[in-house]
Amino acid sequence: MRSQFLLTRKHWDEAIFTFFNEFNVYAPIQKWDFIDYMLIDEKNLNAVIYNHPKPATPLKSFFLPVKQNVNLKQEKRDKIIMGVPACDLKGLELLDEIYLDKDLPDTVYQYQREHTILIGTDCHQILEHCHCTTYGTDPFPNSMQDLTLNSIDDMIILQSFTEKGEKLLSKINGYNKTTEPPQDILDTINQSRKSIVDELNQKNKLLPDYKETGNLVKHSNGTVWKKFAENCVSCGACATSCPTCTCFLFIDRPGFEKVRNIDACQFPGFERVAAGEDPLHLLINRFKNRYMCKYVLKTAKYNSIACTGCGRCIEACIGKINKNELFLELKEKEKV
Amino acid sequence: MVNNHNPYRVIRSKLVDIIDESPAIKTFTMEPEEEFSFKTGEFIQLAVDGYGEAPFTPSSSPYVKEKIEVTIMKAGYLTDKMHHFKGGEILGIRGPYGRGYPVETFYNQEVIILGGGCGLAPIRSLLYTLIEQKEKFQKVILCYGSRTPRDCIYKPMFGDLNKIEHFESYRSVDVADESWEGHVGVVTSLLDKIKFNLENSVVVVCGPPVMMKFGTFKLLELGFEPKNIYLSMEKNMSCGYGKCGHCMLGDTLVCKDGPVYTYEEIKNYDHIW
Repeated sequence: MRSQFLLTRKHWDEAIFTFFNEFNVYAPIQKWDFIDYMLIDEKNLNAVIYNHPKPATPLKSFFLPVKQNVNLKQEKRDKIIMGVPACDLKGLELLDEIYLDKDLPDTVYQYQREHTILIGTDCHQILEHCHCTTYGTDPFPNSMQDLTLNSIDDMIILQSFTEKGEKLLSKINGYNKTTEPPQDILDTINQSRKSIVDELNQKNKLLPDYKETGNLVKHSNGTVWKKFAENCVSCGACATSCPTCTCFLFIDRPGFEKVRNIDACQFPGFERVAAGEDPLHLLINRFKNRYMCKYVLKTAKYNSIACTGCGRCIEACIGKINKNELFLELKEKEKV
Repeated sequence: MVNNHNPYRVIRSKLVDIIDESPAIKTFTMEPEEEFSFKTGEFIQLAVDGYGEAPFTPSSSPYVKEKIEVTIMKAGYLTDKMHHFKGGEILGIRGPYGRGYPVETFYNQEVIILGGGCGLAPIRSLLYTLIEQKEKFQKVILCYGSRTPRDCIYKPMFGDLNKIEHFESYRSVDVADESWEGHVGVVTSLLDKIKFNLENSVVVVCGPPVMMKFGTFKLLELGFEPKNIYLSMEKNMSCGYGKCGHCMLGDTLVCKDGPVYTYEEIKNYDHIW
């Protein structure tokens, strides 16, 4: 299923306008000094930004919101989420592996996934901490998307990958499956992809790759961890902003209702059991635990990677902890 | 095995009896409003309406379907609330979850059970299961330790066990009082008193983390192989079905891959105790 469709931005905006009847449509929009997924309506449709790297909040927030009463009826309207960068889509692989496992799928997550159309987008630029290619993720969608969208000059190029994507394309006035984008536009997309990959590789050439990172975390000694953990205040911002951190805590409400709250292993008491025993009592243990989880333990347990190299944790950290600097120091120690 | 497929829906269960086991431990008997069954060693999530929820392993026999018992030590927010219950309250249960005791693999062997404090709760459920199939085991030896004689739970059970052929039970206390005439010492010291066939024995350990740790070390010293030491790992699972991440133990999840593990399975992980 690889139908392609070329249309003008105006034509696409008109199409989105018709989607409003059926869907809640979300897309990246500039708000104050950041770009984030926002609900789109006729007023802000023109402000949608395509082909931008990672919005401020990760895609997971749509499927695992910060707080959600899981016993309430789910939102009836389906969602379209546009402008999703590849790192966010890649992160969804792990979420699906955990939340849609065959034995005990999470029904609320499953409902949300089934009722959402994901429109992925190429990154046409990189931000300061982007390092997706270091961990084998391309800066353009190649998994999990229903459609991809590229905005080049005033043209929009759509490509469907799933039945859901194909169905959405068919709703666009004037859609014709045989409409193929001209070769020069496809060449432009490919050139852009190549140059972004080159730029990322060049920028991050010293960083250890995912496998090496896992080995470094597993076999490293305490001094580097101690140094970096000193700036950690256990705020959990790294986990909240991470597209693959999925831990939560149920809070009970009257009527045996459960509210799922996003949780983080960085918080004190995350592993505390009866009578106060807590293997992660020490901050340094909690700090290292997140790295162990991402680069060693989840790697062993799941097929999907648990770090997509988006760099949000670096930007979110109020202690200015840069995990890439940590890995470079671990790598240096390894050499000695 | 999960009794209801909606992971967020609890089975309402009426609290019909409360037994004081020790100053800090009570057994709560509930009658689920829907059919509920479990295998020994599997755990349930027990909710107090609007207050909280926590994982517990039933202490009752899996062969009794209409009632379920949990034995709970007053140790925190939720358990403190439960200890103030008078009976008649409606609780919510979800589950059962996890991997319980692999009783079939114990067949034709001696089963040594090392329990400490409230850790005897899941063990009682296991004992009921072993008794139901008693002819299938060479011997069953229970070694149980409590801090003081007053802290010992299920006191009548010990005498009853000793009346069953090939079943033996031993008790110890860390600190004796004037009423105590038995063994004084940590529970692991009972292992020096019992006779067992090392080549054909499995050991089940359940108790507070510190007791599990030193119990395991003592068993290793005695020559038990890690694959024959079964541990009930304690974690504060929030969901119970492998999603919330609270119970990661190495690259496993205690709620799905445990709570019963062999020491062999977890010995290389960090922070297991």
